[in-house]
Amino acid sequence: MAAVLDVTPENAWTALWRRLHQDRVGAVSLGIVAAYLVMILFAMAGWLAGGWSVEVGVPYANPSFLGERPNLEAALQKRSQRQGKVPDLRDIDPLAPRYDEWAKRTQELKSTEPERSLTLPWGGDRWGRDVLDKAIKGSQVSIAVGVVAALCATLIGTLLGALAGFYGRWVSDLLEWLYNVFTSIPAILLIFTLAAVLRSGPFASVFASGIWTVVIILAFTGWTGMYRLVRAEYMKHRSREYVLAAQAIGASAASRMFVHILPNVSHVILVQLSLLVVAFIKVEVVLSFLGLGVPIDMVSWGTMLAEAQNELIIGKWWQLAAATVFMAIFLTAFSMLTDSLRDALDPKLR
Amino acid sequence: MAGYILRRLWQIVPTLAGVVLLIFFLFKLFGGDPAQILAGQIASQEQIDAIRRELGLDQPWYVQLGIFVREILTFDWGKSWITREQVSHIFLSRLPATLTITIPILLLEAALAIPTAMLVAYYRGTLLDRSVMAICVAAMSISFLVYIIVGQYVFGFHLGWFPVQGWSDSFWRNLFTYAPLPILLAALVGLAPQTRLYRSFFLDETKSDYVRTARAKGLSEPAILRKHVLRNALVPVVTNISLLIPGVFVGSFLLEIFFSIPGLGREIYLAVNRSDYPVIQAVTIYLSVLTMLINLAADVLYSFVDPRIQLR
Amino acid sequence: MSAIVAVSNLRVSFVTRQRTLEAVRGVSFEVREDSTLALVGESGSGKTVSAMSILRLLPENAVVDPASRIEYRGENLLTAPAERLRSLRGRDISAVFQEPMSSLNPVLTVGEQVAEVLRLHRRLSVRQALERAAELLNEVGIPEPRARLRAYPHELSGGQQQRVMIAIAIANEPKLLIADEPTTALDVTVQRQVLELIARLRQRHRMSVLFISHDLGLVGELADDVVVMRDGIVRESGPVERIFHAPQDPYTRALLACRPRLDARPRRLPVIDDFMRGAPITDAPLSRPPAGEPLVQAKHLRKEFRLRTGLFRSKSLVAVGDVSFDVARGRTVGLVGESGSGKTTVAMLAMRLLDATGGEARLEGTDLLSLTPRQMMTYRRRIQIVFQNPYASLNPRRSIGRTVVEPMRIHGLGGNDAERVERARKLLERVGLPSDAMQRYPHEFSGGQRQRIAIARALAVEPEVLICDEPVSALDVSVQATVLNLLLDLQESLGLAYLFISHDLAVVKYMSDEVLVMRSGEVVERGTPEAIFRSPQHEYTRKLLDAIPRGIEGRHHQ
Repeated sequence: MAAVLDVTPENAWTALWRRLHQDRVGAVSLGIVAAYLVMILFAMAGWLAGGWSVEVGVPYANPSFLGERPNLEAALQKRSQRQGKVPDLRDIDPLAPRYDEWAKRTQELKSTEPERSLTLPWGGDRWGRDVLDKAIKGSQVSIAVGVVAALCATLIGTLLGALAGFYGRWVSDLLEWLYNVFTSIPAILLIFTLAAVLRSGPFASVFASGIWTVVIILAFTGWTGMYRLVRAEYMKHRSREYVLAAQAIGASAASRMFVHILPNVSHVILVQLSLLVVAFIKVEVVLSFLGLGVPIDMVSWGTMLAEAQNELIIGKWWQLAAATVFMAIFLTAFSMLTDSLRDALDPKLR
Repeated sequence: MAGYILRRLWQIVPTLAGVVLLIFFLFKLFGGDPAQILAGQIASQEQIDAIRRELGLDQPWYVQLGIFVREILTFDWGKSWITREQVSHIFLSRLPATLTITIPILLLEAALAIPTAMLVAYYRGTLLDRSVMAICVAAMSISFLVYIIVGQYVFGFHLGWFPVQGWSDSFWRNLFTYAPLPILLAALVGLAPQTRLYRSFFLDETKSDYVRTARAKGLSEPAILRKHVLRNALVPVVTNISLLIPGVFVGSFLLEIFFSIPGLGREIYLAVNRSDYPVIQAVTIYLSVLTMLINLAADVLYSFVDPRIQLR
Repeated sequence: MSAIVAVSNLRVSFVTRQRTLEAVRGVSFEVREDSTLALVGESGSGKTVSAMSILRLLPENAVVDPASRIEYRGENLLTAPAERLRSLRGRDISAVFQEPMSSLNPVLTVGEQVAEVLRLHRRLSVRQALERAAELLNEVGIPEPRARLRAYPHELSGGQQQRVMIAIAIANEPKLLIADEPTTALDVTVQRQVLELIARLRQRHRMSVLFISHDLGLVGELADDVVVMRDGIVRESGPVERIFHAPQDPYTRALLACRPRLDARPRRLPVIDDFMRGAPITDAPLSRPPAGEPLVQAKHLRKEFRLRTGLFRSKSLVAVGDVSFDVARGRTVGLVGESGSGKTTVAMLAMRLLDATGGEARLEGTDLLSLTPRQMMTYRRRIQIVFQNPYASLNPRRSIGRTVVEPMRIHGLGGNDAERVERARKLLERVGLPSDAMQRYPHEFSGGQRQRIAIARALAVEPEVLICDEPVSALDVSVQATVLNLLLDLQESLGLAYLFISHDLAVVKYMSDEVLVMRSGEVVERGTPEAIFRSPQHEYTRKLLDAIPRGIEGRHHQ
């Protein structure tokens, strides 16, 4: 009995898998995206880039393949450290008797600090942090923001779109009004408004750490496209004969909406979700660049680019290159995968 | 037509009411205490209370909403909390710089993207088409920030073809000296997604039955594209462009920040950083109204492109 | 008479990433000068692909076998340069397609589209071309042709759009007109007018017509020669008289026999399999139960739709004016009408899938329209529906087993799932589906099989009334007969009451004990099928009757 009723929805997903495999571009893209996901999981577990914030190299450490390049900034800093002796305050400082103790403690700590290396695999940033580790950790943050925000926006958009499309009448009127309100405010202004409110308001401290501020901003402003699409699909499907047939056998409205129609529009939602991920990652990068995104104790592709702007002028291009390459490869692969997904799911092309 | 426009104008009212409510409650419920922000960190309680009274913050919320609505309707937003500049003056003085770069960007993008899209649609499936599309996807995957950072560095700083940044009081000097680099960068970045989108519009049309009819008449492929497909594909293209138009007011904020252009987008960004609420609220609400009016104009324009649409 | 176009050994395949599908497998035929050749076949027979190969208007993934030849006056069109082919298209050979609405460019005026083909092949000024276009529109029977030049396609009716397409096709006096199911998308009464127009133009301009159709009855009235195709090969070809009076191929014989006839009502319609296997065809008449107590009584059903036209204004559109009928156990009421007649709305009202504006729909005395949704649940079980389009009426993401078991679960029929599955299996067997159908998905089945699944789903809750909304209209004629036979079998064994809705008079007459003719939401005539067909009272009924294609006999009427 179970064999009959609980068949997994074969066609939708296994057929999709098969078609993706036949599409060479799609298969390669899927491989790249999967590799990124593994990298992110490792980074989250701390096995990879766990020490991204440790200052392991000299400032602006050269990439290993450019080890011979003169590093003026590191040399300057070293000199200032050597020369910058603290003036002697022994005679006036009441804490003077403890100087020796402190000196001893400092000595102990200093000895535990490892020697800063002159080169790093892909160079170092202003504080001598490993750029490659930063790029890996930054991928984790940027992609996580994009995916989580896209899932939230999809949830809101799908739910409201399904209600408006399925019920029509006043439900639709009300939600259309809400949609009009949200879309008549230019997106970037809505984002800025939210950023202004969330960073100075009573919830500022709640969201101060972590990615939630950005996620909320993106989801709150980005659900409208999904809503429009899902609403249109539901309007189309609600009068399809298979839905009427379900109504005729007595299936409830909720069952028709989510058990009958939803699987049949899921491909549209999936493709739009992928597009949202790409769009949200790009917006997150810009917001973090502007200091409105992830908090300063986190690293994302955006914060890396923010540092890279000034570094480029003094010829330190590696952080810019690392952030750009990591981001471009992921987004290209993800976009290509979305295209393949769209083709594979398109009922007309079957 | 007049009836249609009047009706649409009337429909703006509830939407605008929604925008006002949304903004009001966003700031009311989630925003910081204006008095605290205005007075600064080290103000005494008396000072804060005085500001409260002045702004009407000691009144119940509906009275505050009333004050808010009155400000909107009378165009009297008072002054920026930080710079003490009149908000209406900020609006009028910053908009010209923004439009000097955004309007050329919009025109240039469309002028480049439509022919390119038509070309690759004509050569669909060939190596040319596939390589252009692959380049587009790759180009879209790089952040706009990178284009600006690298473009500014290479063309402004390194090669010295354009000034790195700056702005003047002369419109022509701005347009031909300071604006070209940001305009070109933005137009080239916008080219990839638009080409991709417009190509899909053209391809959708080439699959239509009327294209088969045109072939059956004996028309050549270029003639079919020019006479039949272009006119039909223009309908979604115009829709897309009309969706881009509201972006001319603040869409260029990144360029303005990078190139120190005293435009509206940069002003908003500064206001966000300074928690300058009156500026943010005023710009948001007025630009929403402008957006609604532009959308209405686009719909009217639309009926000229597509004869199937009748405005009633 | 010599051949104007000779197709020999045509082979066309479609190449997709997954597989190559051979749509036309060695087809040969000739179109004679000044005559009509009909290509007849059901969906997938390759008739359209064969015809479109002449103009090389095939989809981009079509591959024509290099050994194939299509000669137009001795010139092989398949190898002709593109330039040469373009000069022939629209001038020597032109085409009319199935969907007039999408075949015309929506953003260009009718005048521009007719003038374009004129100016393309002749030296004419814009003014001259428009002048000539007006004459052409007049010739194809469009009223006020001069004013219509400035109209856009969407401002014309379907029939007029097809007339414009015909005007474009005959503008340059072609030698051959390819008409690909030119009337299939049109209502029956309009279909008749367009067919007569094509026949008249053919005679006047002494051109040849290659007419593609799935309807042998239509072809019999029009064609001089007939080619019957199935699965990409020619089953039989010859002069129309021989095809109709002495068909050689069993498939042709089956096609001729499986349409319900207006003059007989056999117990069972012959189907393709009977002819292929040589089974005896029975002529035993259908016996009908006498009319008993009405099970369903519909009284003064009315439905208005509100259209919002302004901010505060709205106008109401009457979809169904006033419809009443009674159906008794084991009996069938037929509802016939063209598109927009409101017949499907009646089905929706009776099922309460739409809320009626007025009237009653009683099931054994209980008015369904006044029940609360909760009360309605028990009645939902007793009245079920089968829809027109079997491709849309099954949920593509559900296995057949789940589709058939779900209604039993909702209504708590059968003790447990195991029992329900067993019942579903029996039901599917009963409607003639293979035993492994349970685990499979809708797309693995043909249209006829899907309609059987839809019937099984409706029967799962053991209803007493079944509403059939155009249940066979989307199916090929040979499949229609099998589904109609199944419906009659089920009615006989289960004593079901049917409300049978169709635009096809012949089918309605075969199925029904009482017929209602609908037009614009009103019943214009009602009575027994025999009475209606023998002596129709209303003018509209007569028009509908005249529009039925009658095959070769229809020819003698003219």
